[in-house]
Amino acid sequence: MNILQTIPLNHYIMLSALLFSIGAMGVLLRRNAIILLMCVELMLNAVNLLFAAFSVHHADGGGQVMVIFIMTVAAAEVAVGLAIIVMMFRKAGTTDINLFDTLKW
Amino acid sequence: MYSTPYDYLPMAIMAAVAFGFVAVTMAATHLLGPKRKSEVKLDTFECGIESQQNARFPFSIKYFLIAILFVLFDVEVIFMYPWAVNFKEGGLEGFIEMLVFIGILLAGYLYIIKKGALKWE
Amino acid sequence: MNTLITVSLLGIAAMLSEVFRFKKFIQTVFIAAVTGATGLAVLDWGTSYSYFRFMVLFDDYALAFSILFLVLTLIWLLLSQEYFCNENTRADYFALISFSLAGAIILSSFSDLSMFFIGIEILSVSAYVLAGSNRSDIRSAEAALKYFLPGAFSTGFLLFGMALIYGATGSFNLSNISLWIIANHSNLPVMVNAGVVFLITGLLFKIAAMPFHNWAPDVYDGSPTPVTAYMSTIIKAASFAAFYRLFVSCFSIMADWWTPLLVIAAAITMIGGNITAVYQNNLKRMLAYSSIAHSGYLLLAVAAINQLSKPAMLFYLAAYSVASLGMFTLVNRMGNEQQLDKLKGFAHDNPFYAALITLLTLSMAGIPPLAGFFGKYYVFLSSIRSDLIWPVIVAVIASLIGVYYYFRIVYNMYSKPAASAHVVSLSGFDKSAILITALLTLLLGIAPALIADII
Repeated sequence: MNILQTIPLNHYIMLSALLFSIGAMGVLLRRNAIILLMCVELMLNAVNLLFAAFSVHHADGGGQVMVIFIMTVAAAEVAVGLAIIVMMFRKAGTTDINLFDTLKW
Repeated sequence: MYSTPYDYLPMAIMAAVAFGFVAVTMAATHLLGPKRKSEVKLDTFECGIESQQNARFPFSIKYFLIAILFVLFDVEVIFMYPWAVNFKEGGLEGFIEMLVFIGILLAGYLYIIKKGALKWE
Repeated sequence: MNTLITVSLLGIAAMLSEVFRFKKFIQTVFIAAVTGATGLAVLDWGTSYSYFRFMVLFDDYALAFSILFLVLTLIWLLLSQEYFCNENTRADYFALISFSLAGAIILSSFSDLSMFFIGIEILSVSAYVLAGSNRSDIRSAEAALKYFLPGAFSTGFLLFGMALIYGATGSFNLSNISLWIIANHSNLPVMVNAGVVFLITGLLFKIAAMPFHNWAPDVYDGSPTPVTAYMSTIIKAASFAAFYRLFVSCFSIMADWWTPLLVIAAAITMIGGNITAVYQNNLKRMLAYSSIAHSGYLLLAVAAINQLSKPAMLFYLAAYSVASLGMFTLVNRMGNEQQLDKLKGFAHDNPFYAALITLLTLSMAGIPPLAGFFGKYYVFLSSIRSDLIWPVIVAVIASLIGVYYYFRIVYNMYSKPAASAHVVSLSGFDKSAILITALLTLLLGIAPALIADII
């Protein structure tokens, strides 16, 4: 615990910015819908880390409450997202988003 | 408070033992173990029943639905931790608020039962 | 507050109607509850109460937008009668609509960043499901996926922005954030600026403004038409209500810094949206691009951020949404093929309703003295007040381009039908929807002060 608090805030910001960028690049570059979903989760968890770090930094519980909200809402979002991907998979037979071109892009 | 490189020595020993154990056992089984190569021996499972097909095939969507619903209800429980920790401070008001929350979850639960999402067949 | 609770309870009731077998009455319950909620919002008018430890604040701004959402929903119900026909899914759709309405009301009334996040998620998660609600059509599924992925992506950006703002200011409360920014105005940490950029990016995604608009035409095209109508009116209005509320209550002091970003986005959205709409032959897609273009004008009102921009936005959203609902009634009746050619001969068969639709089209194009004209007028007025002169010139040019494709709709309606063509025919509900929207458009055009002066 003590060692954790000696890590400067900047490092947390760097780490979560890095994680967020990895997630964002994943969404932009990968083509499998499931992996896209995982990348979005990575982005959200980077944000969670940031909120938790700021919460400790400001000695304010609000950030941690926000983390809980983000986790639950993300779970709901993923449930809906997975259901949509499964529906699309049953219709199109693939999860490659490049092949979803019934509608003009 | 302040960590010195010396503090990491136990971890280094631990890592060395862990990796060493893996290396030694793998080498030992490779060198000492008898080698018999038959069709049955090379099968994925050796349980007497012949394996049918590849394990990576699409499976029934019902599992997926139940898994998703489980995740949803599982994650909602997270709200109870802060409430439980602050149970006394929350008092009656907090208790009623939690009842409302559970009530809403219950409404969702009734709904999925009625929709037949939890039926296996 | 009572409005929000009523709408949320309505959603739960709609879900439970499946369990307790009052599915048959759910539409009646829905209409009654939405009307009641509107009444409650009207009763609260002029008050300004804060609830849930300053998480939501129901002031006139929140109430005005809540009333707008609820009234639009009531009109929307007319054109989506057939959408609710299926007994198996009716309760679900009503529940989803109620939940997304609750999200919209939260978005117009939040006074805390966490409520903003929850509102936007309630609104969009229901909308993802609604977009994919036509389960027999692959286009609907694809629309849902193409709505979901950018939506979730932009949520990430919004949250990252919120985290940075929270990190700098140490609070989620909008007024605390605003006070902190005013106090540290002279040397703002770069974290605040980065946070604002992330928030703008996320919100531009949500409102489908131009650099981030790619998902919108496909989603609007693929979703069932009533859902498209819902998305391009109520969801768009809610997103703008949130956008403005967030920026006016938190970041108005540093407006000089972020206004250029919004103005540039607005300019390319107006020009780009209108030019791409010209090339569409499908009415639904054309309306999708026109909806993007209208986002540009609204963005101008947000960028202007002065006394006039609040009424300008409310009026523009009301005028645009009403006209748009009328147009989507027509699209809905065109079935799966929404080619413009299919409208040929419509005026010959339904001269009265063709005239009303012409009226709605002219209003969307911004021809005086209809509601759409006054919407644009107020937006331009507020931009000029903030010295945004060149964006207004761009907006006027964009409107002129817009007039061209809106006239294409009218032209097609009044041209002769092709031989053996199936002419679009309207049901009674459609007729009343078009009639009501046209009357409202006229009314707002004749007496714009009805809406523009209330907030």
